[in-house]
Amino acid sequence: MGGFITAFLFPITLFLLFFTAPFGLWPRDIAAYRTFTTLWQGPLVRLFFFVLIGGSLFHGTHRLKFMLVDAGLKGPGIQAVLDIILNAIAIFGSLGALYYALRGWLFF
Amino acid sequence: MAAHEYHSKRSAGWWLRNPRYLMFQLREAGGVITALYGLILLNMLQQLSNGESAYTAFLSLMRTPPVLYVNVILFALVVWHAITWFMLIGKAQPIQFTERPLPWKLVFGINLLLWIGVSGAVVYLIFGGF
Amino acid sequence: MAEKDVVFRVKRYRPESGAKPTYQEYRFTYREDMVVLDGLNYIKDHIDPSLTFRWSCRMGICGSCGANVNGQPRLTCGTYIRDVHKGRITVDPLSNFPILKDLVVDFDDFLNKLVSVNPYIIREDWGDLTKEYTQYPEDVEAYRQQSLCINCMLCYAACPVFGASPEFVGPAASALALRYIRDTRDEGADVRLARLNTKEGIWECTFVGECSVVCPKNVDPAAAIQTLKFLATTRHMRRLLMPKVIPR
Repeated sequence: MGGFITAFLFPITLFLLFFTAPFGLWPRDIAAYRTFTTLWQGPLVRLFFFVLIGGSLFHGTHRLKFMLVDAGLKGPGIQAVLDIILNAIAIFGSLGALYYALRGWLFF
Repeated sequence: MAAHEYHSKRSAGWWLRNPRYLMFQLREAGGVITALYGLILLNMLQQLSNGESAYTAFLSLMRTPPVLYVNVILFALVVWHAITWFMLIGKAQPIQFTERPLPWKLVFGINLLLWIGVSGAVVYLIFGGF
Repeated sequence: MAEKDVVFRVKRYRPESGAKPTYQEYRFTYREDMVVLDGLNYIKDHIDPSLTFRWSCRMGICGSCGANVNGQPRLTCGTYIRDVHKGRITVDPLSNFPILKDLVVDFDDFLNKLVSVNPYIIREDWGDLTKEYTQYPEDVEAYRQQSLCINCMLCYAACPVFGASPEFVGPAASALALRYIRDTRDEGADVRLARLNTKEGIWECTFVGECSVVCPKNVDPAAAIQTLKFLATTRHMRRLLMPKVIPR
């Protein structure tokens, strides 16, 4: 699931936010404060970023776990610690994204 | 001396011995980098809520040449991850309507078209059009 | 036929000696129609009778002659010397297996894994054993590809996950499990999926895909494992939603 979100939505998002302006590839600077705050008013945009951040965090930490295990970080004790740390990053990151997505839109 | 088996240890550079292993590692690295970008986007939202100067400082940092070029490399890995993901879909979960599952190249092609379509939708629905 | 020289650099290991494996080089003249296995047999017959290796059918069906040729898991009977001739051909025992002697590896673990997936038809009721079970061509087609496995273990040698985690059930055993799960005569899908739906079962696999690349019979174990992941997940979902229907 996270893989689908990442594969379909990330490239265009990163491209527009971080690479169009420096290389002059777009008529507007989408990431500029004025432009982005206007976009950020829309609930769809907020939902989009929440899904993007949540999806990429879960997907990426999952892949990181496999890479580390593959590199030799094995054993039941290490596995448990790895699971806790990586899941914590994904969960707290997603909650953070949820917080910022709702902030200024709900009552806070 | 009693006969015993020899157990060799896998070398740390195993993934360099074969171009397909290298492609696999790059694919996995791309996956991990998406998590990194997830955190970067999170930070961006945090700076946004901190106000204009904090946000603009963040953006300027991302666009400074060394950081920008590192970003280009990381972005390339993310794109590679996406492309290999589309290749895997056809192979990983056979989609079958008739006697044979759809050939993976066809599924890959369909996914690429979907990708372009979804990206276009994102441009218009999220980022305010061209 | 043109004749040229080749050097075989073969890994030697003497279990009684206690020393680590070493390489030994053999130079001989080969013919264009020789395969690596022919080369090994030539060495054993004419140069060094102590060289030890497995082989049998020499036509790619018994699965005995697997070895790492220039670092790649190959059947030595199916690899022409002229195709891998880089001046020197390095022959190692299959990766990821303990070495018994020279090119002979210990595959007890592999055999145990095959057994562990219950590779036989499982049925509640065998019915009238004098009558055959009807199976149409499309039924056979559903599992034919997985049934082609010759147990040569090249996929295990190619799998970096198995290299790091020997407890991984592995490609061939998984493909074998799918072969029986997809067989219309079989009713044992749950039993096998329960065994495979574990950390050291199919979930260890990160879809590197190298197993399918090296398979000499196009079994495509990588696709088989991903299909098993899908089947195991749907079975798990069904069990969560309808616990009484699906057994543990």
